[in-house]
Amino acid sequence: MEQLQISLSALKVLRSSVGQVFYSLANGIRAEHGEDNKENKYLLELQELLTTVGTNLRDVEQAVNSLNPPPGPFNLGNTAYLGQETTQDRQALYGTLVNVYKWTDKAHEYSNAAHQILSQNSLKRSSMNSNRAKRNRIQTGAHNFSPPQVDQVMASFDRLYSDMSISITRPFTSNAVIHVTLGHVLKAIIAFKGLMMERVVVKSYNEQLDLWSESRYKVFQRVTDHAHATMLHFYNPNFPELTLKSFFAWFHSFISLFSDSCKRCGLYLHSALPPTWRDPKSLDPYHFECKP
Amino acid sequence: MGTGSLGRTWPAKNKWQIPGGYENGENINSQSLPIPNQKNGGQRTVHVLHNSEQPASVFAILEYGNKVVPLIADRLFDLVILKMTNVCTDKKQTKIECKGPRFELVDFCIKLGSVTMTQNFKGVLVEIEYRPSVVPANCWELIREFVQGFLGSAVSSQIPQYLQNRMNEIYQPMDTIHQYLEHFGQYRKSTGVI
Repeated sequence: MEQLQISLSALKVLRSSVGQVFYSLANGIRAEHGEDNKENKYLLELQELLTTVGTNLRDVEQAVNSLNPPPGPFNLGNTAYLGQETTQDRQALYGTLVNVYKWTDKAHEYSNAAHQILSQNSLKRSSMNSNRAKRNRIQTGAHNFSPPQVDQVMASFDRLYSDMSISITRPFTSNAVIHVTLGHVLKAIIAFKGLMMERVVVKSYNEQLDLWSESRYKVFQRVTDHAHATMLHFYNPNFPELTLKSFFAWFHSFISLFSDSCKRCGLYLHSALPPTWRDPKSLDPYHFECKP
Repeated sequence: MGTGSLGRTWPAKNKWQIPGGYENGENINSQSLPIPNQKNGGQRTVHVLHNSEQPASVFAILEYGNKVVPLIADRLFDLVILKMTNVCTDKKQTKIECKGPRFELVDFCIKLGSVTMTQNFKGVLVEIEYRPSVVPANCWELIREFVQGFLGSAVSSQIPQYLQNRMNEIYQPMDTIHQYLEHFGQYRKSTGVI
């Protein structure tokens, strides 16, 4: 690389000395040569300049001789085709392209440095995994649990409440659809993707359960709406079991749907509906119109 | 005045309109067929009831001493009863009918029926049904509040005799029939309007 720099600068010197020769030739005899023997003086000057050109040329030759020729033709990839471009305004693209490469290299360099610094300081707030090997693996989110895992979790919830029974069916591939029967009060069907709840339909104890139709009773249509809202309220992608635990605790509070009076107004009915809203934390019953 | 979760009487002149509800006709009728003098003595009575809520069914309750045998059959049972005229003596005056409008308000079903026994007006029965709940114990307080909401404090808070032992069981159409029969029995014993 250094050799190349030397030869390039030698070439520059040669060019400038050649330029001086032509400069003096173009100007001819000038006033500084005086009146006497001006032709001889001019010739002497030219001779001097040509000798400098000769020495510079020798330098260039020496520098070039010490260079190693490149092993083969340069592989320019697709950029080689840029040379065949005939449109005027696209011929300048090569320079821009080189600049882009330079910027990419720099960005790569900086990001490496930044990565090194960041990996020494744990400032992570998101669950993004910076480890490359782990990132390429399938992420363990709420939505990709294997069927046996889901079965196990559901069985644990089934055991948790004595008056709430849970049964699992898999009508659509491996995703579980569970039927929840809460005492003699209501039934619900919950569709899952992995351990992530996707849809809840609440119906009366004596109605047929299916995923697509809503209950014929207003009170259960209301409860279904609240169940959807609560499902989103408790949603947490990192702790799907915690989500389910909170949801089932909330859902279990509907065991007293018809026998609890509203915490606020103390009445059972508001516009002919019982308290259908449950506080997500305290599980206190409220009418939807009375909720805090 | 007889009271109950399903039955309640008051003067028939009252007119009722429920905002937001809708109405259609309803009736329940009952026919009692005593079967006299069997070998081991004692009177047996078969009560045959029809309810417009279950139009394809016939309800029959056989009373024998302290025993009560309920039966739910389809409409052909009426023809069987007709064939049994040699064992049953059909007393015409024992036919009781409860007829009137039926309202729906949200999930409640309200039926107002005027009771007639062989053309004689006897009183009015009010049936309140809260259809989403299947266990009476769960929704008893709720129904009480609903009934007291439009009939006032005259409504007794006491659970009717028939339901007391069945509060935690799943409510069946037969339970409605039993309660109607209980009230019809009271009308039959009494004279005049109650």
